[in-house]
Amino acid sequence: MSVSDETLMAYADGEVDAATRAIIEAAMRDDPQIRRRIEEHRALRETMQEAFSEVLQEPVPQRLIDAARGHQPARGHDAARTGNVVDLASARKAAADAPGRRRSWQPIAMAASVLLGVALGYLAWHGSNTWVKTNSRGELVAGAGLAEALSNQLSEDRSPGLVATTGLSFRAKTGDYCRTFSTGANASSGLACREDDGWKIKVLAQTPNATSNSSNFRPAASADAPAIRAAGEESIDGEPLDRAGEIAARQGGWAGSKR
Amino acid sequence: MSTNESAETIQEQIVALLPRLRRFARNLARTPHDADDMVQIAVERALLHLDQWHSDARLDSWLFKILRNAWIDEVRSRGRRAKLFMPEEAGENVGEASMEREIDRLSVEAALARLPHDQRLAVSLVLVEGLAYKDAADVLEVPIGTLTSRLARGREALAAMLRPPQGDRS
Repeated sequence: MSVSDETLMAYADGEVDAATRAIIEAAMRDDPQIRRRIEEHRALRETMQEAFSEVLQEPVPQRLIDAARGHQPARGHDAARTGNVVDLASARKAAADAPGRRRSWQPIAMAASVLLGVALGYLAWHGSNTWVKTNSRGELVAGAGLAEALSNQLSEDRSPGLVATTGLSFRAKTGDYCRTFSTGANASSGLACREDDGWKIKVLAQTPNATSNSSNFRPAASADAPAIRAAGEESIDGEPLDRAGEIAARQGGWAGSKR
Repeated sequence: MSTNESAETIQEQIVALLPRLRRFARNLARTPHDADDMVQIAVERALLHLDQWHSDARLDSWLFKILRNAWIDEVRSRGRRAKLFMPEEAGENVGEASMEREIDRLSVEAALARLPHDQRLAVSLVLVEGLAYKDAADVLEVPIGTLTSRLARGREALAAMLRPPQGDRS
């Protein structure tokens, strides 16, 4: 008799009753094809289990343990985390009302091209590294560490040890998503936009004490240095994303509307 | 769950299940960060609705179901369902992986990410999480026959994607 592949699959998963098992085991003895198909099902199962086992060894973030124990989540995150439909306007207002949060751009006249010069100088100074590099077309792009932060981190997250923190996120007039960032390690900040092949650095600025003669830059410990804000103001379409907007953009891989 | 004592016990059981919840969430969400956000949402919801959990039901299945619903809500509320399934993104970092084992892992992830989400959920629950068919069907709120056929189709597609290329090498 022929046994359906679904039945063989169920057998491989230990999901058949005794009668079916007897039939299949009899068929296996006669038919190497059936034996092979069952082996394939088992091998795939093992492959899947092994491929996804690593996360089980990772330390669980404290916020999840706190949540499981019923401790209060950090204030301000509630709206985005209840999972209900979030009213973006009210979420944005809540974010804007939060102390210490900057949610608007101050227009500042400053040519972004000046900053690109700084960026190239920066590269010449530091050589290639993990957070800014040039691609094959000579454009500045985020290196692995910075790209990781830009792709995964929400602006409210400030975990120690990360290569960069992200500031504002917004949709640019080009349709691409852009984010400001800063890195504590080398006192730089900038603006990167997600294009088809990665995060392109649009603006990069350094703090005065990190470069010899950048008197036009105020200390840019955060990602809202004037020049970066100016570049953002110039390219932004609408308003910056709130947390819910960032989560949605991140889910879409920061893919812009053109793609 | 009428006493604090039993609620605390369940909370510790949920803590113990967090690694598996994170794993399941990663097979739904685009990034590990999104996955953890969803786990947090699900866990917070679970605690709010502990009275709906019957102690004869499996706690892991119940939490997987809440997690899956949280994911569906998230997707719906964003109206960005299509954006969640951009398979080319999943394999994007393969070239950066230095170890072969890492590449293997990513390619399996990439293959899973390419499945339609019904099949991906069935495969995640049964093959990765090791749930019995009836428990997985319960999480997905579908009849067991539906679960079985999604699983079979998902497996077939995965096997085809993971099979080493043969014959067409020049």
